[in-house]
Amino acid sequence: MVQYNFKKIRVVPSGKEFNNITLSCTQRQTPTIIHKGYAINRIRQFYMRKVKYTQTNFHEKLSSIVDDFPRLDDIHPFYGDLLHVLYNKDHYKLALGQINSARRLISKIAKDYVKLLKYGDSLNRCKSLKVAALGQMCTVVKRIVPSLAYLEQIRQHMARLPSIDPNTRTILICGYPNVGKSSFVNKITRANVDVQPYAFTTKSLFVEHTDCKCLRYQVIDTPGVLDRPFEDRNIIEMCSITALAHLQASVLFFVDISGSCGYSIAQQATLFHSIKSLFVNKPLTIVCNKTDFQPLDGLSEEDMKLVREMKDEAAKTMVGEGGEPSDDANVLLTMSTLTEDGVISVKNAACEKLLNQRVELKMNSKKITDCLNRFHVGIPKPRDQKERPHCVPQSVLEFKAKEAAEFEEKKLERDLENENGGAGVYTSNLKKHYILEHAEWKEDIMPEILDGHNVHDFVDVDISQRLEELEQEEGLQLENEEIVQDFEMDDGKELTPEEQGSLAEIRNNPIVPALELNPSLAIKRDASRSLSRGQKRDRSRGLDDAMDIGNHADKKLCLRGLSRPRSRSNSKPPGEVIPGEGFKNRAQKVKALKLARNSNKKRNKQSRVGEADRVIANLKPKHLFSGKRSSGKANRR
Amino acid sequence: MPQGDYIELHQKRNGYRLDHFDRKRKREARQVHELSRKAQKSIGFKGKQFAKKRYAEKALMKKTINMHEESNKRRKTDDDVADGALPPYLLDRETTTRAKILSNTIKQKRKEKAGKWEVPLPKVRPVAEDEMFKVVRTGKRKTKQWKRMITKATFVGPGFTRKPPKYERFIRPSGLRFTKAHVTHPELKCTFNLEIIGIKKNPNGPMYTSLGVITKGTIIEVNVSELGLVTPAGKVVWGKYAQVTNNPENDGCINGVLLV
Repeated sequence: MVQYNFKKIRVVPSGKEFNNITLSCTQRQTPTIIHKGYAINRIRQFYMRKVKYTQTNFHEKLSSIVDDFPRLDDIHPFYGDLLHVLYNKDHYKLALGQINSARRLISKIAKDYVKLLKYGDSLNRCKSLKVAALGQMCTVVKRIVPSLAYLEQIRQHMARLPSIDPNTRTILICGYPNVGKSSFVNKITRANVDVQPYAFTTKSLFVEHTDCKCLRYQVIDTPGVLDRPFEDRNIIEMCSITALAHLQASVLFFVDISGSCGYSIAQQATLFHSIKSLFVNKPLTIVCNKTDFQPLDGLSEEDMKLVREMKDEAAKTMVGEGGEPSDDANVLLTMSTLTEDGVISVKNAACEKLLNQRVELKMNSKKITDCLNRFHVGIPKPRDQKERPHCVPQSVLEFKAKEAAEFEEKKLERDLENENGGAGVYTSNLKKHYILEHAEWKEDIMPEILDGHNVHDFVDVDISQRLEELEQEEGLQLENEEIVQDFEMDDGKELTPEEQGSLAEIRNNPIVPALELNPSLAIKRDASRSLSRGQKRDRSRGLDDAMDIGNHADKKLCLRGLSRPRSRSNSKPPGEVIPGEGFKNRAQKVKALKLARNSNKKRNKQSRVGEADRVIANLKPKHLFSGKRSSGKANRR
Repeated sequence: MPQGDYIELHQKRNGYRLDHFDRKRKREARQVHELSRKAQKSIGFKGKQFAKKRYAEKALMKKTINMHEESNKRRKTDDDVADGALPPYLLDRETTTRAKILSNTIKQKRKEKAGKWEVPLPKVRPVAEDEMFKVVRTGKRKTKQWKRMITKATFVGPGFTRKPPKYERFIRPSGLRFTKAHVTHPELKCTFNLEIIGIKKNPNGPMYTSLGVITKGTIIEVNVSELGLVTPAGKVVWGKYAQVTNNPENDGCINGVLLV
């Protein structure tokens, strides 16, 4: 569905602004540097681009204006007529037409000048052609300045038009000025329309919404209409007439039966008869207002007759189009906005009539048959006369009742507060909701500082878990140790004293392989080497192992002596004297170390740049030494 | 009050905020400083625009101030009489000497002899040949250089057909051909877009006249039937001469003054 929202129209700039915006856009968006020495083609291209760019820019801006404003023939006739009444269709169309023609002219200028630029043979000529082209475009825009100003004003006004949806459920209120239309709208909606004791307080259409039976209705308050020929009506009255003519709505014709508005009932009746044609095919209600002043029964005989005539006419409007003749009570209603007598009933009657009519229309339309075919409400056929109500087990019912009772019985914190001295006195106990292992722990006092320590420093949330892990680990280690010990013990046990003696002998007297040429041994060695395919180091070790068993332990020992001790407990300060090093005492060793360090240091004799020197990484950074230095550039460097 | 005017509605209901007028006064007082800051800061084209606007405003302001001051001031009239001033009763005496009359007639005659028209642009910059023509190289090897292309605006008649390109010495490019000119009537002080009928004279030489080259100072004949000028005999004037006052090849249009 089309939403009639004119707020989306973009701002129309004034003529001067228009030119400024477009020209500075060209200046910013196209290249700016050109030199005489460039190839002529390049110069031509440069200026052609400027001309084309300006033209497209103008074209876009003007097109957006032409497209944004609604075409009066395309929109809903209600809005078309309203805009015509407010702004005059001819003027509006003329302004848009001028803008359209300006757009065309600018395109033509650009085309001509681009053609001329192709023959430009020097920078100067190309440049003056460009200047002429842009100048002509600006002149064209200058000529449509009044249209632009007019459109801008219209745009501002249009954006503030009430957003009336012409297709929705609508209640339209009309009548003579000062008969209480606006006060009725104020009563049934939140419109807050200005109500004053003079005629034509309401000068434009007002829209608000009201609810009736869970449906939303659009209520339109119109300015008062006077009874005079169509041509003499002013803009304010024409707004009401437009709304009456084009909106399919439930019309409430207000009659002031007290005559305190300044117009007699006879005058109001003539107005009703003169605009009768606008009510055709719309649910119409005649509302007699201000009954607190003058009740309907107390009217004189002639006035009563006039009112009755109106009522008959109103009843006919629907009959003519095939609707049912509504009963009298619904066509003529009385109310008083001052005492709010019958206001609600008027509203309900109007809404009901409108809804009935809309439903009826829908039912008569062709579309509904398609929908109705799809509907099917299945009702099972009763097989006998027996009643079969649905069954809920007794236990379920009891349970539900119990739950409800519990819910009601549960003491709320608010009840507690009221019992214990009300707000400000009672302090709720937060501890009672704690979820702990034992209920009696809830009220325990937990110290924050204990023995001079912050308790929270020692709180570890998952301490039990970690302890468990540690214990598990410890258990594993203990088991391993036991196994190892078992082994060693076995070793020691198995060796008999003789064997131990032989072992010691082996350890003490390593076997040195005899240096003799034994071809069989060499062949064996060779074979073993060729067989092994591992890494060289592995192979050599394997050979070593095979060759010198006795030396092995010694080698290990000596390796350990060379490497530094890893353990922290074995570390020593650098100055400590180790016997055998040859220092007398600690002071001597420290001095010796210092001397050694100094002698190792290389002196910077050639005074080269070192890491301690100040460094400027880039002495001539590109961004500081390139580009023009025209005004305003210096402080950005 | 229409429904959408929520600001006005609010003001109507609740009035202004208490310090509204204070704020307004202060904002106005600040305006001067803001303007001056802007004037100092804006540079480039924006700065130029701003300065121009400010200058116009200031000039207007000074003018109005001076006008107000003028009415307040008392001006002294100087009493000393200028040399050769005459009393009013002698003013309508014939005093021109015979010698002066003579010189006037001689001058007029000389003028008539010199040229037929008293043109608005009596002197124009001569245009060199290499500026007027561009050499077009032809031939398979591009060695022949007898062809010329005219680089200025030209006029060719409606019935013009090109010579066969093989023999055409002067090319008048169609992009530079003009058929209309903006001609100003010096007495009516208004400009019309008129059709060109022909080239009367190009000051640079008869060859250019015959080629139909339009440069600054060229006398062209335009169709003035739209203006509805009438000769003393009562006939409608059809063609009239006009002089071109701009450089058409630079401006992309022909502007001229009607010779009356």
